[in-house]
Amino acid sequence: MTQPITRRSALGRLGAVSVAVAAGTLGVSARAHAQASSQALGLQETVQDGLKRVFGGRPMKDGTALIKLDIPPIAENGAVVPVSVEVNAPMTPASYVKNIWIVADKNRIPIVARATLTPEAGQAFVGANIRLGETTDVRAIVEQSDGTLLTARREVKVTVGGCGG
Amino acid sequence: MSDVGKIRIRVPSAVKAGDVVRVRCLVIHPMERIERDAQGKILDRNYNYITRVTATYLGKPVATFDLTQSVSENPAFSFALKATAPGPVKVTFVDTHGGKYEGTADIAFA
Amino acid sequence: MRSAPPLRWAAVAVLATGCTLAASESAPVASSAWTSRAIPEARGEMRVGPDGTRTAVRYKGWTTRDFGAFRTYAYDDARPEPAVQKTAMPGGFAGDAKKGRALFLDRQKAPCTGCHLVPGDDVWPAGSVGPDLSTLGDRRLPDAYLYQQLWDPRVTFPATVMPPWGAQGIFTPEEIIHLVAYLQTLHGPPPPEKDADRNPFTRRRSAGFGDNLDPTNNPAVIRAEEAQALWNARGPKGKACADCHAGGSKTAMRGVATRYPRVVAEHGRVMSLEDFLGVHGEATTGRALPLESDANLDVTLLIKMASDGMPVAVDTASPAARAAIERGKATFYRRVGQRNHACADCHTPERGANKFLGGRWLADVTEGLTRHFPTWRTDRNEVWDMRKRFQWCMTPLGANMLAADAVEYAELELFLTTFDVGKPITAPGIRH
Repeated sequence: MTQPITRRSALGRLGAVSVAVAAGTLGVSARAHAQASSQALGLQETVQDGLKRVFGGRPMKDGTALIKLDIPPIAENGAVVPVSVEVNAPMTPASYVKNIWIVADKNRIPIVARATLTPEAGQAFVGANIRLGETTDVRAIVEQSDGTLLTARREVKVTVGGCGG
Repeated sequence: MSDVGKIRIRVPSAVKAGDVVRVRCLVIHPMERIERDAQGKILDRNYNYITRVTATYLGKPVATFDLTQSVSENPAFSFALKATAPGPVKVTFVDTHGGKYEGTADIAFA
Repeated sequence: MRSAPPLRWAAVAVLATGCTLAASESAPVASSAWTSRAIPEARGEMRVGPDGTRTAVRYKGWTTRDFGAFRTYAYDDARPEPAVQKTAMPGGFAGDAKKGRALFLDRQKAPCTGCHLVPGDDVWPAGSVGPDLSTLGDRRLPDAYLYQQLWDPRVTFPATVMPPWGAQGIFTPEEIIHLVAYLQTLHGPPPPEKDADRNPFTRRRSAGFGDNLDPTNNPAVIRAEEAQALWNARGPKGKACADCHAGGSKTAMRGVATRYPRVVAEHGRVMSLEDFLGVHGEATTGRALPLESDANLDVTLLIKMASDGMPVAVDTASPAARAAIERGKATFYRRVGQRNHACADCHTPERGANKFLGGRWLADVTEGLTRHFPTWRTDRNEVWDMRKRFQWCMTPLGANMLAADAVEYAELELFLTTFDVGKPITAPGIRH
């Protein structure tokens, strides 16, 4: 539902509008862009294959104590599902959260996105609106600068159909 | 007169040095999904979607997002930055069709 | 559940006496009398093929099936509701409970789970409009009774909102026999509920989509803001909206949206902002703003945003407005389509409102449902005005849609808006 106006103004000012910068032709086709390297994104694969490709057999610790994975338990549709990940871990040059992957187990493209942070971020916090193909577990996989991997997951039920469309 | 590439960025207003602040941005973009024919075979074409979002503060990167077609149309993103001095937050979006879109918001100190 | 009030008979009486009058303030202008200013997909037109088959001209992706056999909202559609049908269950045919369960869950049919909960981990999402049927078999109701109930439940429950599935040809007799066989297998005790969200009576409500007025959350706000350029741009007649409405739309249009929909004497009918722009834009600037075009929606949003935070203040006192509201109310309670549903069946608290229809929470009209329109639809990445919402409802109801700017829709919208009076406008909304 709508939020009260006071909350919105408390969030602060709006930035300037964008400038569309005409770039040279990157001309990268979706197929060419998605090489089968471990860091490639956008591949259609099972989540098991995707995790194996990106992380090999590297151990992943249970990060439920440190990772706040915020995602609605019931999504009204699979088109726009807001997700945010906040990690209770330092962000200093000596130790910081370097990468956060968002994974949706049942998506055709299960490795949804990767956020890469620098210590200047000050806090390991990222948010994005993602697509979900169907009811699925959504995972956050966090990589710290020393290579430690942490993970947390939540189930999201995706509502389908209905007379509202 | 398409709105594709239009950006809005929100930053908090009264910031103090040392604050960790959250920034939110939204870009109008189709984020085209993979299409299939009636038999379920993927239509092979160059789908137009944003592959990378780069956020900098005072010229230095704070967050970079690498995206796929599993990200929503007209996507919104949030990230944090440690406010050290007044100055610009710049967010740049790059898509598979060579589109590059930039937006800027200023961190102002109280 | 009370039966529908007799107001729709009042509407028919008005029509009978008013037809011969010229367009006056209290007589309704039937759809056919108004030339639609909507885009072709939004006019409710039919295409007739060389073999005589009729297909509906509709928005991309919407069904093009012709539901002409069933009653519509048109004021000149005098067809009654389908007659209540008593029937006997055909004999000599054994129902298959497994087929019945598949039919019960089939999205192409109802699905029955839209209103009724039954057991199964694959039942997602069932609704709570109708009773939980998980132990219906325990009641040992005769097969013939269940058959009649599915064929036409109005025989047993005259005021029911459940469609006459058999009488209206949605399920065949054979399919209903399978359904009856399935229902008779539902014995208690039901398995313990592992997941409170599966059950619509204990399911959590959705959190919504956040701040609708925040442009970093709602793309429709960006759409509308960018439309200021259109507001300022000169049309073919050499004039811009800004030329007559100076100071920017936010200043010039402040408060205007609070009074719409309203009776526009010049055109002899109720008009929403969208309806009015459909005529006014071209008349003044030369730039056409057809209903359901991006331009019409964006300028409507610009005008409505200029009243954000201001209370809805539509005229409900003048004789013309009161008459239009009565007709709108009659439309709200009018049963139409293959499903034989009225808006009231889903959106009044006495019937379906504040319950789940499948996975969708049914909104209550008495809370006021218009002040956040036009709204962003996240599922479709589109701006929908109230008319497109009405037109969409026709799809599950199995009724042909009217033109977006049909008078019937305008008067229905005015009736709905009476429940928003005094409440603050907050457009664009953001919804599923």
